[in-house]
Amino acid sequence: MDDYLRNSLSTMPLFAGLSEATLGRLSRVAFRRTYAPGMLILLEGAPCESVFFIVTGAVRVYRLSPQGRQQILATLGPGQGFNTAPPFLPEGRTPASVEAIGETTVLAIRQEDFVALARTCADFSWAILQDFAAHLLHLTDLVEDLALRSVRGRLARFLLEQADGAYVTRPWTQDEIAAHLGTVRDVVGRALRSLADAGLLRMERGRIVLLDREGLEAEAGA
Amino acid sequence: MMAGVLPQIDLMRCILCGRCVQACPTQAVEMLANGPTIVRPDACTYCTACEAICPVGAITCTFEIVWK
Ligand code: SF4
Ligand code: SF4
Repeated sequence: MDDYLRNSLSTMPLFAGLSEATLGRLSRVAFRRTYAPGMLILLEGAPCESVFFIVTGAVRVYRLSPQGRQQILATLGPGQGFNTAPPFLPEGRTPASVEAIGETTVLAIRQEDFVALARTCADFSWAILQDFAAHLLHLTDLVEDLALRSVRGRLARFLLEQADGAYVTRPWTQDEIAAHLGTVRDVVGRALRSLADAGLLRMERGRIVLLDREGLEAEAGA
Repeated sequence: MMAGVLPQIDLMRCILCGRCVQACPTQAVEMLANGPTIVRPDACTYCTACEAICPVGAITCTFEIVWK
């Protein structure tokens, strides 16, 4: 048995709870690959052949926009896995491209072996589920953040219009602002606080005082 | 703090539930015989907690939107 593989696997927090027997099975099907800096490990859209876990080094996960611009989705380091979702889908494809940042060593597991382990070793599938759950929570935060950011943008535009007198100005309640922006009071309150924290406005008794036109215009355009 | 603008309480709408009194972090609102009243205007920080909690929308805290 390859001691390097076994040692690398047992030091990964993800696999820390695995039984000896499962670690043994895992190290029999895992193989080691080392990539030079900048080397492509996975290409977006390709059929899924293997899943990967980083031993040393780091990778960049990205997609290419239609204009060819790299949109970085994540940077991953030792102990983290990638391409672990497609094996669970029929004809799963690699969702994003991955390239090595520095010299990077990974453990790869062919997708048939990965699925077989997940089906037969409860401790292994538990570890993978925990990893998925962590990803899911991270994405939930991200979605909330994006939603808040879009409200911040609409709010910034609304505030600029009001202060610049584009419409007849009048005092607003936070409920009325929320209705105007198609959201709820709570979200408006948070968006106002985050704009205030960013130094773009100041909340006073009965007044929202705008402080930074450039900053608010940048928010409104974002 | 100087009083000036204060939350407006519409006693015609108010159902006397007392939640605004509970919610106020500075005890600026008290329940008097004729309904909730801002008895300590100097203590009110215009935090809008009373407006947010009122179940019937009887309290309004308005903001003018102005440049510095
Ligand atoms: S605005 Fe805040 S401080 Fe003022 S009365 Fe309402 S809850 Fe109290
Ligand atoms: S929360 Fe609203 S309804 Fe309840 S006592 Fe205060 S003003 Fe009246």
